[in-house]
Amino acid sequence: MDRTAMYRAMVRIREFEERVKRTFAEHPGVIRGHTHLADGAEASIVGSIAAIRPGDHVMATYRCHGYPIALGSDTTAMMAEIYGRANGLCGGYGGSMHLADPERGFLGTSGIVGQSIPQATGAAYAAQVRGAGDVVLCFFGDGASKQGAFHESLNIASLWKLPIVFVMENNSYSVSVRVEQEDANAAAGEPLATKAVAYSMPGVTIDGGDPDLVHTTVAEAVARARAGEGPTLVESLVYRLSAHGNSIAPPGVPLHYPEHEAVTVFGDVAEYEAALRGDPVPRFRGALVTSGALDAATADAIAAEAADEMQRAVDGALAGPDPDPADALRFVVA
Amino acid sequence: MTTAVSVDTQVLRDLLATMWRIRAFEERVGALKRADEVHGLIHLSIGGEGVAAAVCRQLRDDDAVYSGHRAHGHAVAKGAPLGRAMAELMGRGGGLCQGMGGSMHLVDVAHGFLGATGVVGGNIPLALGSALAARQQGSDAVAVVFFGDGAVQAGLFTESVNLATLWRLPVLLVCENNGFAEFTPRSAHTTVERVSDVVAPYPLPRQTVDGNEVADVWTAFSGLLARARRGEGPALLECLTHRLRGHYEGDPDRYREAVSAEDRQRKDPILRLQRAGHEAGWLTGSESFESDARAEVEEAVTWARSSPFPSSVPEELR
Amino acid sequence: MAREITYIAAIMEGIHQEMARDDDVLLIGQSVGGSPEDPFVAAFGPDRVRVTPISETAEIGMAAGAALAGKRPVVDCTMAEFLLVAMDQVVNEANRFHYMSGGRVTAPLVLKAGYGFTAGWAGQHTGSIYGMFMGVPGLKVALPSTPADAKGLMATAIRDDNPVLFLHHYLLTLEAGDVPEGEHLVPFGQAAVVRPGHDVTLVATGWTVHRALEAAEELAAEGVSVEVIDPRTIAPLDVDTILASVERTGRLALVDQATKHASVSAIIAAEVAEAGFASLRAPIVQVTALDAPIAYAKPMEDFVLPDVGKIVAGVRRVVDATVSGHNTAAAR
Repeated sequence: MDRTAMYRAMVRIREFEERVKRTFAEHPGVIRGHTHLADGAEASIVGSIAAIRPGDHVMATYRCHGYPIALGSDTTAMMAEIYGRANGLCGGYGGSMHLADPERGFLGTSGIVGQSIPQATGAAYAAQVRGAGDVVLCFFGDGASKQGAFHESLNIASLWKLPIVFVMENNSYSVSVRVEQEDANAAAGEPLATKAVAYSMPGVTIDGGDPDLVHTTVAEAVARARAGEGPTLVESLVYRLSAHGNSIAPPGVPLHYPEHEAVTVFGDVAEYEAALRGDPVPRFRGALVTSGALDAATADAIAAEAADEMQRAVDGALAGPDPDPADALRFVVA
Repeated sequence: MTTAVSVDTQVLRDLLATMWRIRAFEERVGALKRADEVHGLIHLSIGGEGVAAAVCRQLRDDDAVYSGHRAHGHAVAKGAPLGRAMAELMGRGGGLCQGMGGSMHLVDVAHGFLGATGVVGGNIPLALGSALAARQQGSDAVAVVFFGDGAVQAGLFTESVNLATLWRLPVLLVCENNGFAEFTPRSAHTTVERVSDVVAPYPLPRQTVDGNEVADVWTAFSGLLARARRGEGPALLECLTHRLRGHYEGDPDRYREAVSAEDRQRKDPILRLQRAGHEAGWLTGSESFESDARAEVEEAVTWARSSPFPSSVPEELR
Repeated sequence: MAREITYIAAIMEGIHQEMARDDDVLLIGQSVGGSPEDPFVAAFGPDRVRVTPISETAEIGMAAGAALAGKRPVVDCTMAEFLLVAMDQVVNEANRFHYMSGGRVTAPLVLKAGYGFTAGWAGQHTGSIYGMFMGVPGLKVALPSTPADAKGLMATAIRDDNPVLFLHHYLLTLEAGDVPEGEHLVPFGQAAVVRPGHDVTLVATGWTVHRALEAAEELAAEGVSVEVIDPRTIAPLDVDTILASVERTGRLALVDQATKHASVSAIIAAEVAEAGFASLRAPIVQVTALDAPIAYAKPMEDFVLPDVGKIVAGVRRVVDATVSGHNTAAAR
């Protein structure tokens, strides 16, 4: 992925997420349950995925829309999945939190905090046994680093020198709890990458809003992993620009996307506004355009194409049929 | 090599007596297991008495102690009556738990031995809970949890370290690092040799001492205990020990090199403290720690044997 | 050709043969492959056979991930209770993947664990906890009672495309029996009628199958003909074989080492009450563990567990039972 391709992927992810968010207002009831957006993390997602190649695998959390887009999944199928339609990526069985697209290397997610970390580690074990030099990118949040699954997995990954890069997207919030309220390192003013010390693995903390920096850092970790030198912990500092997820309400109450917890829980409008000013998508556009790497007209065209694509995704998803109810009994066992 | 001089000789004599009580108890348990008077899975701590004694003898009855599957020594050092402990291992109605718990589930609430647990690492969060309770009651009591180096690779471990540190809980994490998790050496489990280095990322005091040097354990623990009592938060004390027996009684023990007689002499915490005592002159040779302990254990066995088996079940289950 | 080997040897033979047949089969766990002399390491190398730290969540989660990536891992979880440390990975992850992805991924893995070690292992290592897994969609549960079934069910488990809990009974570990050499597969969801009879149907699993057979022998001397059925897998559960038997005998007794409300027997009783009520000539009797953890001391351990005497008494009750004021046994 060159820088323009990275920018295009970031814009497509943002536009997709915007359309998901808008669906709550424009098509009430179409999205059920709980949906988590990755707006603000596009640079981190795209910069990381730009560092891998076909044959590599990705696993992630329930905040999972961005990765398959960067990997090339069909956005109409993705939107249809979030709308619970039969033409969805997973036939309407998974929904927003459980996207999987194995043909593109996206092995799936866990809806339970931290639990996909050992799974990604297992995929890396499989890659090591396969011996083809494939690596695994494992994405998770800052909250997951307090799960035992994190500790157990990083220890084994280091011990077995597994080809995996642990990308911790630290967005400073575990739902509505600030990281320094629940993390002993954060409370002491230390980066969370400090935790890598306990596993004799490199740990770095980077600005996850800079896709070039993310790309370089993750590419270096991927190269290490491919060379059989073992895992790396990359703490990628991001700011999610939306709330943790849409409102949680019993059936009958319309769902919506509330404001960010910085505002609703902590009343810290200044923090949130600063984050908006640092939005990685316009920031990368600015960097590309001012350096002459991309002209403004092309950047505008990329945005327009993304808008068209996501309009088609929404239309295709809305037009998609409901699954046959009796299909609920398919796929219980393989 | 030793800091024994800095610890009061009265304390050292008490530690020696405690270690002999544990040693005599455990050796008798091993014999009873072979004679089938004690059944089930038995894990002995022979060689690890120094840690149990040096830690538990500094604690009060209102301090909570949690242990794992290798718990006899901790219970004895914390004050559990030998007769009732032995009766429990023999499955008698007079046992500490009326025969319901056995070796891996000893509990003696009166002396603050809140219990052994049979699942590796499962006791660590429990100790955090006791520490939290003590603090909320305004007490300066602490909680101590003993665990092996195998437990450190379990997720519960860092979940607990993070929370204990964040909340500054009066809990002391005492790791007995014997270099083996069940049957495999530490190198098969982690790249980090010292358990104290596993908590390196977390802002809490950590110390590694020779667990066979009982005075060193006493001194190190005493400092960490004082901090915790003052409300300054948790700490980790790693004690390097050597399991002189297999993982469990009957373990063919084929996965590691035999302990040489010379090694045994050198590492055995009891023999080591006795040598130091004779050199320093606070032991004269006329002491009867060992024979007193063995006599007390014989009494305990006699008492336990006289205790009836549970007739069928306790009343609440009938 | 069959020859006599122990239950545990049969399990390991099943794993060994599958590993030899399929390079994708891996074996990991806290008590496997710890030394270079380990026969599995010697045969399949340290890549495919690995000792793990005491990290249940990672072990089982890694198996799920390796399975997604094309492998067929077997995790030796040692004791069934250790599964509880990693409950999310056992019941809420790999077993859902195929479904949640609309069939796009599969997670073939086997979790091998021993259970029911009621020999003084006290409160945390003796449970018969299969009941809490049998109703979990996407998870299969095998409970072999003989060495031959142990080998055959293990081979089937490894070839299955779903997560399978393979729970072996600790008290059977050294029991020997005839086991076929070479490839031996026992299908899932097919109960075994281990002793035919016509007066009463007696269903048991694992170690209690053998106690049920002893009870049947004792009852035969009294003239009561007992048909003993071993479901062999409880998910899927072969309800049809049990219903067909009850249709002939009209009576059902169930033995289970689990506590009643977490047992297989309660589920079978409900299935038969629902689908086979018309066949029943007496109330169903369940002989299960009493509602208590397992105590350390032997007298208390014995008190709560089913045994031959309790099974005999239970069968007598169902044989002597009267329905609608009509003594059915006397009426025959």
